[in-house]
Amino acid sequence: MIWVEILSRQREVAARFRVVASEVRIGRGYDNDVVIDDPYVAAKHLRVYRHDDGHLVAEDVGSANGTFLDGNRTRLSTFTVDGKQPIRIGQTYLHIRDVNHEVERERLAPTGRHALPIALTIALALVLVGIDALKIWLTQTGEARLSAYLTPLLTVASALLVWVGLWALLCRIFDGRAHFLRNLLIALIGTVAFSVFNEFALYAAYAWNWPDGVTYGYVAAWLSFAGLCFFHLREVGRKRLWLKGAAVALLMAGGIAFTTLQQSEAASDFGRAKTAHWLLPPMLRAVPLKDEDAFFKDIGNLKARLDSDRSQAQPADARL
Amino acid sequence: MKWPGRVGVGELLQFRVGGFFRAVAVSLVFAAITSGAAQAAQEASGAERVYSTAPPRLLQIRTLVGDAGRQASIGSGFLVSADGLAITNYHVVSQAALEPNIYRLEYNAADGSRGDVTLLRVDVPNDLALVRVDKKDAPFFAFDRAAIEGRLPKGERIYSMGNPLDLGFTIIEGTYNGLTDHSYTDRIHFSGALNPGMSGGPAVTADGNVIGVNVATRRGGQLVSFLVPARFAAALVAQVGTADKPTDLRGDVGKQLVGWRSELFKSLSVAGFRASNFGRYRAPETQALWFNCWASTNADATPKPRASVNSTECGSDTSVFVASDLNIGAININHSLVKTIDLNSFQFSTYLTQLSQPRLSGGGPFKKWYTPQRCHEDFVNTSLQPEHPPLRVVWCAQAYRTFEGLYDVSLIAVTQDQPLEALVSRLSMQAVGYDDAMALGKRFLEAVQVGK
Repeated sequence: MIWVEILSRQREVAARFRVVASEVRIGRGYDNDVVIDDPYVAAKHLRVYRHDDGHLVAEDVGSANGTFLDGNRTRLSTFTVDGKQPIRIGQTYLHIRDVNHEVERERLAPTGRHALPIALTIALALVLVGIDALKIWLTQTGEARLSAYLTPLLTVASALLVWVGLWALLCRIFDGRAHFLRNLLIALIGTVAFSVFNEFALYAAYAWNWPDGVTYGYVAAWLSFAGLCFFHLREVGRKRLWLKGAAVALLMAGGIAFTTLQQSEAASDFGRAKTAHWLLPPMLRAVPLKDEDAFFKDIGNLKARLDSDRSQAQPADARL
Repeated sequence: MKWPGRVGVGELLQFRVGGFFRAVAVSLVFAAITSGAAQAAQEASGAERVYSTAPPRLLQIRTLVGDAGRQASIGSGFLVSADGLAITNYHVVSQAALEPNIYRLEYNAADGSRGDVTLLRVDVPNDLALVRVDKKDAPFFAFDRAAIEGRLPKGERIYSMGNPLDLGFTIIEGTYNGLTDHSYTDRIHFSGALNPGMSGGPAVTADGNVIGVNVATRRGGQLVSFLVPARFAAALVAQVGTADKPTDLRGDVGKQLVGWRSELFKSLSVAGFRASNFGRYRAPETQALWFNCWASTNADATPKPRASVNSTECGSDTSVFVASDLNIGAININHSLVKTIDLNSFQFSTYLTQLSQPRLSGGGPFKKWYTPQRCHEDFVNTSLQPEHPPLRVVWCAQAYRTFEGLYDVSLIAVTQDQPLEALVSRLSMQAVGYDDAMALGKRFLEAVQVGK
């Protein structure tokens, strides 16, 4: 008895045939045991029989396009079948397996539903809403309006749901299961991480006089976006993670490069770098007061930069 | 009351038609004569007599695009010597001064004669220019001695001549009202209807002597016009000897700006700051007389504000015309006392953030005239004594691409001694030397104090 499995492009079993004979013929013609509707397959393409030593052997019986192992460009005429690596004839992938082909051990089913991911998701969602609402409240200097809270919160919530829904759909298509909760968890972790960084950057800009966190905040944005995409892709399928990692890294590098270009061109057009001159309550100051003379020394050092800006700007338009 | 769209000295007498900038100035002399019943009749005949002598000494100065040979802008001028020296406004000839390869000058006299104009000297701070026209042994205007010595009585009837809007030469009667208040540069307040196009024309007394040069009007005012006092024009004429080769005018503009600004900031520094009370705080206000100060409050705002802001703003009318797209030189000192009404300390600091953003407003388009803005920000302790509150200070500066040694600087200090009350002080200086700005900035910060 020999099993022939026709595989999808994702190398998943699309059809399975049991042949109760010592020999199997595979091809497009109806005189075969397994008929394959692939115009690139010969009418009589492959013959599989049992060798004297008990192994299954496949033989190309004269096709024009040949027979290959998956991922290999060497054309084969007669070869031993191991049942693991798919065989390609025309554009069709096959598994040819013996009855004693070894299968994986039974996987143990989880005992009951885990409460932890659900609790974590709810907690993270609350943290996200909390950060946003707190931020809105603490920067509210005009009249308090309910819509000032609801508009951004609902926007964030619906954007998150659309995003998670798309990934769940992809997971459903390629992995069979939607993994909605896990995708939601990934999206929440990414968004919370970015929100926390944003608030930290503003704090650092004020309390530590470190404005780079705000100026280069877009790097953190792209970093969390790329991380988000990677873990979503990992949910879609755990194969070829290095390729997904590389694609995501490329996306991130491209995004950062593009934003840098955009900001530097905007700065050269408007003469203003993107910085937050942000104030927080004085008690949050974390660096000592600077002595006036030391401060004016720093100010004096700024002159050299202005003058070098000027000499760089000079050649192009030396007007006066 | 603030006047809408407060401008420096006012509106220069310029206008643009079809994309071109025209500045026309013409002058005319009236002889207003003595007293008595005969006065009215004599005035009329006097005006006719004066105007009959004016045309050969009254000019229209036209700036031509060299390649096209067409006028780009029009102004006026008047002869001040027999060998063809004439005075006009700098802003009438600025294009020819800054871009001599693109623009050239020509004159049309009121008597119909015309010819080439050579630009000899400019006086940017006073908006004057001295040119030579190809006239020999021509009649010319004399400067009024009383005006030069500053002895002209307020209320005297004076006459300004010009060619408003290129409609033809006119003569305008008005009143001499002395020098303007709160002004660093001396300007004669002339109550008369100057119009765009009269720039550079002479204003004369009844006996026909020049007391000033038409220069500007106040936008939004009625008959509020300004003249450059004649003594500046006389000084410019005296600068030029017989060998009057044109100097490097483009370099000269930069040098004059640097020199003028350095004098101005020296006098600002000499005048010093006086501490004025803002609630618990004391803030520096300049003692220089050439500042205009205004107060404002948001107490009557709707919806009811959540923090009260009481501000004073002092500005100087020290902008000068440098090019048609560049007016520089304003100085502003602004203090706002901010107190929470129902904001918590985070909301209050957000409110302060909005009030303390650096606003470096250039006097012209950034890409043409300025380098990018650079900022530095820190917590500063001006002194260990308790009356000096800790400050959060932002310093932003940009350099002028074309004028070496001039910068625009904005200095903002926010007091950090209280979570729910603060003084936001701002010192903005256009076209300042960097060391002047630092010295003044230091004194400014040191003068921010807090009471017990």
